[in-house]
Amino acid sequence: MPFMSLQRLKKSLQLGAVAALVSMLAACSGTSGGPAAAGDTAAAAANTGSSVSPEGRVVLNYWTWWGSETRRPIIEKLVDDFNKSQDKIYVKHTYYPYSDIFTKELAAVSAGDPPDIMMNDINTVQQRASKNQAMNLSKYVERDKVQDRFFPELWNTVLYNGDPYALPFNTDTRMMFYNKDDFKNAGLDPEKFPDTWDELEQAAQKLDQKHGNTYTHIGYSPQFNSDWTLLQLNFDGGRNFFDENGNPVVNAPAKAEALQYILDNAKRLGQKNIDAFKADFGSQQANPFLSGKVSIWTDVTNFYTQIRDYGEGINFGVAPLPETTEGAGHWSVGGGFVIEIPYGAKHPDEAWEFLKYMTDVEAQTYWAEKNFDNVANVEASNAPELQSNLVYKASVDNLKYTKLTPNPLNAPDYMNLINPQRDTIMLGQTSIQDGLNKAQADVEKLVSGSK
Amino acid sequence: MAHHQPAEAGKGWSLAGREALQGYLFVSPWIIGFLLFTAGPMLFSLYASFTNYDITSQMAWIGIHNYDTMLNHDPLFWKSLRNTLYFVVVSVPLQTAAGLVLAVILNRKMPGIRLFRTVFYLPSILSGVGVYVLWMMLLSPSAGLVNLTLGWFGIDGPAWLTDPAWTKNAIILMKLWGAGSMMLLYLASLQGVPRKLYEAAELDGAGRLRKFWHVTLPMITPVIFFEIVTGLIGGFQIFQEGYVMGYGNDPGAPMNSLLFYNLHMFLKAFKVFDMGYAMAMAWFLFLIVLLLTLINLTLSRFWVHYEGGEQ
Repeated sequence: MPFMSLQRLKKSLQLGAVAALVSMLAACSGTSGGPAAAGDTAAAAANTGSSVSPEGRVVLNYWTWWGSETRRPIIEKLVDDFNKSQDKIYVKHTYYPYSDIFTKELAAVSAGDPPDIMMNDINTVQQRASKNQAMNLSKYVERDKVQDRFFPELWNTVLYNGDPYALPFNTDTRMMFYNKDDFKNAGLDPEKFPDTWDELEQAAQKLDQKHGNTYTHIGYSPQFNSDWTLLQLNFDGGRNFFDENGNPVVNAPAKAEALQYILDNAKRLGQKNIDAFKADFGSQQANPFLSGKVSIWTDVTNFYTQIRDYGEGINFGVAPLPETTEGAGHWSVGGGFVIEIPYGAKHPDEAWEFLKYMTDVEAQTYWAEKNFDNVANVEASNAPELQSNLVYKASVDNLKYTKLTPNPLNAPDYMNLINPQRDTIMLGQTSIQDGLNKAQADVEKLVSGSK
Repeated sequence: MAHHQPAEAGKGWSLAGREALQGYLFVSPWIIGFLLFTAGPMLFSLYASFTNYDITSQMAWIGIHNYDTMLNHDPLFWKSLRNTLYFVVVSVPLQTAAGLVLAVILNRKMPGIRLFRTVFYLPSILSGVGVYVLWMMLLSPSAGLVNLTLGWFGIDGPAWLTDPAWTKNAIILMKLWGAGSMMLLYLASLQGVPRKLYEAAELDGAGRLRKFWHVTLPMITPVIFFEIVTGLIGGFQIFQEGYVMGYGNDPGAPMNSLLFYNLHMFLKAFKVFDMGYAMAMAWFLFLIVLLLTLINLTLSRFWVHYEGGEQ
């Protein structure tokens, strides 16, 4: 009798095990299917891109994540033009999803079989240089003298121990987009954006609209598509969280003032109202600036394409970020991507030719025009066909005040220590000074631990 | 069978020997796979956890430095361990209970029961980022369905994913939605409980609750045990939720309340290439899980009922 039920129990356990196995398999295929499938389509795409045959040429593998409907034709046109322009090199473009490409490259580099050319993040070039993931380009740069093509701020970011490990490709900068009609209706001068942060806060109050106790329209909040990481640099004269000697300055007075400014604004509007607004933010038509829910919006140059495509003739202006006091500087933050040769790539000489081509005036102008992106090449940025657009012109002017925030080598993940303290302060669970002191101490610990 | 062993002289192999060899041959794909893809990498990671390995440029012996940093100098290590423990301690019992209750409810013969079983099982076949994005919408403080529903009962729902006091609970709640996979196991085992035990209990005058407590529960304790052990191991590996659902796209945000152990490990390994450190973290977690599983196995003697008796 017990034998029978034991059998049954066994059977039910087996059933259970099968079910568990099936769900495990489902989970596995769920995670591994995505990238593999994406790889296949990417490979397929690469074969249809060019009209030139690779036969008899050195074939270079070029990895990007630009597979979208907008960007893929642009990058493939550039690759195709390069392939047509000469007869020794054939560049084969492959794209991988942004979420996979960097781990994929890391694995390829460590296996000694990397792609020949790779796009990558500008703020982590030094990290990759120090870890033998990117190739030292100094011999090519010394020979071909390309460094003067680039904005100095971008060029400095690709140097490690004085040697370049990548060439800057594109960049961006944060500016203030504002609704001129809203300004007019509120009795503000639509041709003059507030110069200082205090003036901005005063203007913002005039732009708010309330229905009873709820806001139907908010003039400006520094928490809208922007936050303290941007404001602290602006308030602190363009300095990020480390001073020129590499020491952390997280609790510098100016950074505390920036936080105070954000908190004051939140107190005036009510954090709940700000959160409720943010919860409804979308993109394209649902962007709050384009749908008329917000008058002032912080965004990068490329936001212009959304205004153009979805703004329905919105009467807008663009201005630099305000400054703390007159003359303190309209500092802003930018990022960007570089083009580099992974460490261990087999054809660096040929790859270098492509790097030069991609950062030269013609390719850079084409990229800038088609994507409405800021590019690293100074001459291309000043091309008349680009400068004729007021937003583009403003963005290039803004690059003068734009700082990059490369990750320091001895504390590359320092933001993981600062962000939680910022959150704690924003939630009112600690004072600004205590929170920033704690962040400062944590970052100092991280820096000293890595020595 | 084994008793008769016709001597096949001259072949060199006894039947037992041949059978053993064939046996090893049959299991060899698994053994080779295990050595190459599991044991090998594990030993490598154990060694590398004592080095400054960064995948591409260095692998020098640094003794227990990684372990020292982990235990004494990394505030995020303890934060992530606490977050993970909280999740495991609250989530595993809740999930086990939810799966069991669901299974008991669905273990009856009535028209349409298969439909209900399917409906409750369905969420567990959906996985990955899509589900998280869906839940991020459901949990939105002002416009989300969860708080809307709570509002009908006069409850002012919390800011689930933005208030650090609630983020982990939000994830636990979300995970409960997937209790259907556990339900399936319980359901299978519930149906394996012999009718005659119930009949005997009924003859003795046992009511529904008594039958559940004294017949059903003991009979399915092996499955509950299995669920708790695997749930515990799986719970410690929570990762994606913190990576994807972090407020404002910051992994683990707000206030690192969703910085789970494996997320911290991942960020160290693949964002800053501190692979040696990440491997040390992996081994520490392995020890924790191993210890807890051993404790579980020991405790199981006191409550898990195997009908065949102790093995």
